Amino acid sequence: MTTHAVATPADRPKGWSREAMSAPPGSGGQTGVARSAHLGDAALGWACRLSAAIVFLMLISLIAVLVHSAWPAIRQFGFGFLVSTEWRVNELERPMRDATGQVVLIDGEPVMETLAPAFGALPVIWGTAVSSVIALVIAVPISLSAAIFLVRVAPKLRIAGAASFLIEFLAAVPSLAFGIWALFVLAPLFQKYVGPFLQRVLEPIPGFRWMFYETVTVAGRNIERPIPLTGRDLFTGSLILAIMILPIITSVSRDVLKSVPRTQIEGTLALGATWWQSCVAMLRYGRSGLLGAIMLGLARAAGETMAVTMVIGNNSQISPSPFAPAQTMASVLANEFAEASEGLHRAALLYVALILLTMSLVFNVVARRLVVGGISPTGSH
Amino acid sequence: MPGSFAEFRRRSISSIMFGLCAGGAALIVAILLLVIGYLVWIGVASLSWEFLTSVPTGDVAHPGGMRHAIDGTIILVALASAVGVPIGVLAGIYLSEYPGEHVVTNPLRFIADVLAGVPSIVVGILGYELVVVPVSRWTQSSVSFSGYAGAAALAFIMIPIVARTTEEMLRLVPKTFREGSLALGATRAQTIFRVVLPGAFGGVATGIMLAMGRIAGETAPLLFTALGSRLLTHNPAEPFPSLTLQIYTYATGPYPEQKRLAWAGILVLLFMLFVVNLSIRLVASRHARFRVGV
Repeated sequence: MTTHAVATPADRPKGWSREAMSAPPGSGGQTGVARSAHLGDAALGWACRLSAAIVFLMLISLIAVLVHSAWPAIRQFGFGFLVSTEWRVNELERPMRDATGQVVLIDGEPVMETLAPAFGALPVIWGTAVSSVIALVIAVPISLSAAIFLVRVAPKLRIAGAASFLIEFLAAVPSLAFGIWALFVLAPLFQKYVGPFLQRVLEPIPGFRWMFYETVTVAGRNIERPIPLTGRDLFTGSLILAIMILPIITSVSRDVLKSVPRTQIEGTLALGATWWQSCVAMLRYGRSGLLGAIMLGLARAAGETMAVTMVIGNNSQISPSPFAPAQTMASVLANEFAEASEGLHRAALLYVALILLTMSLVFNVVARRLVVGGISPTGSH
Repeated sequence: MPGSFAEFRRRSISSIMFGLCAGGAALIVAILLLVIGYLVWIGVASLSWEFLTSVPTGDVAHPGGMRHAIDGTIILVALASAVGVPIGVLAGIYLSEYPGEHVVTNPLRFIADVLAGVPSIVVGILGYELVVVPVSRWTQSSVSFSGYAGAAALAFIMIPIVARTTEEMLRLVPKTFREGSLALGATRAQTIFRVVLPGAFGGVATGIMLAMGRIAGETAPLLFTALGSRLLTHNPAEPFPSLTLQIYTYATGPYPEQKRLAWAGILVLLFMLFVVNLSIRLVASRHARFRVGV
């Protein structure tokens, strides 16, 4: 074992080990040295317990503060908040319409109605869920194949170390860097080339029209109009999310696959399995851990803020089209929390934060249970 | 049966899947090189001595530099580490070295894991509600965004990461070392500081640096706590600049010259993180004996 100079607390007397050794066990408090050693023990124990208490307090304060600050919105909207689609920050005044869509007139003047501010989380929950799922659909096959490559092939080529370093560095790149790249490279690319290309190819095919047209209600009538391809939409947001969750899914799956016993692989090969068939056996053996890796990716995608905020278009609406701007829970917080004055708007945003927290807690807890079930908790292999 | 069609089929499927797996790995590396390469390429073109040494001028055509933001990030990370590292390491020691108190340590481990997964924007909002709002109420000012609030939010992110990595690294030190030390008459504190911590030094340091790198790149927790500033300030009681906040403001703003600065800022940030990651590799390989996958 290599020893390294670690700053020892200054209050510890020199040569403590010899004296402590000569003191018989249980004679604590007999000599000055032994007493100070026991004091050190107690101090360390309480310092550790204090730190542990702080960690407990962190979780309690997180939940308590969010619930307390979101309480006005929770009381007003209840669980209906989760399924309501209205997100109206300010009062809205508009001409009243009757059931047929005609403006109600009295003496030739339209009757105005005032809509109170209303808040519902369904659009942002929708945006979070759809963008995360698209991101997973793109990222999981790439990540799993890369993980197999890292475990089965890279060591033979002696590039496992370099490849792992690259993936870990990718994981360390801040989300802001991905956001800027997506904003200045990916979004214009989609606006100019990819979007129009997809539209040209997919639009004539029946059943794809909904991707490029939206139905809006203007003056009581439904109008179908093309969705402008801006490059800042749900699809670009999902794509950058996919890129950002590649490293976490890859590195956790790599660890899970690495922990598959060698005998399992050798057994399948001895029975005449091809390379791929033995990989399938490996994937099956580690399936709960791999599911955990995917859940971790999902949790990461759902909570990701900066990159998504920069490219998703930030429009709280539910559109079936991936080329329409959307909004996620994290991005609505980043966009609106600064402007939210006191009152219901802020409480509603805190309610959103509470939902986001709950969701990511559930994903993380399930994921960790699955991964820990698959590999040893200390990660040694 | 060799030579049969079924045999041919399963062998070709295997080859195809091998190719796809290699393709997946190559794709990830290609994406990394594409993203990083582009950022570095544009960033280097935008980087200048002025960027590192001067502060914003207020003139959108000649926006100056980001000295204030670089200083701000360093101070924020230092403040957060000053709080987060001791608490995190001590909590990690508690998790690993006090197994007798497993009634507490088991839930604590779970909570640390859960906290590590909290979205950073939620931490930012907590910082606003827990630090900024009460301080404003106390000082009776309108809103007191401050560097301290930002550092508190960053420490919140740091503590669970440091605690869990410290615990895992300490667990790799063989139990016999502790028994040997205790058998020689050393106390628990002496054993921990003289035997266990030095044995896991590389791993613990790696975890700390990993957490520092992580918080240096965070933007979301600072949006509503440190707020950002265009002034060169070293007083954390004021609204405080950070590299990430300044980059975000410039990148989403309308002025091309400021966007150029945002690219340069990203390059500086990436360079800082690369240095951190590389030193992690070096520290970890020098202490390879107790290393696990970082």
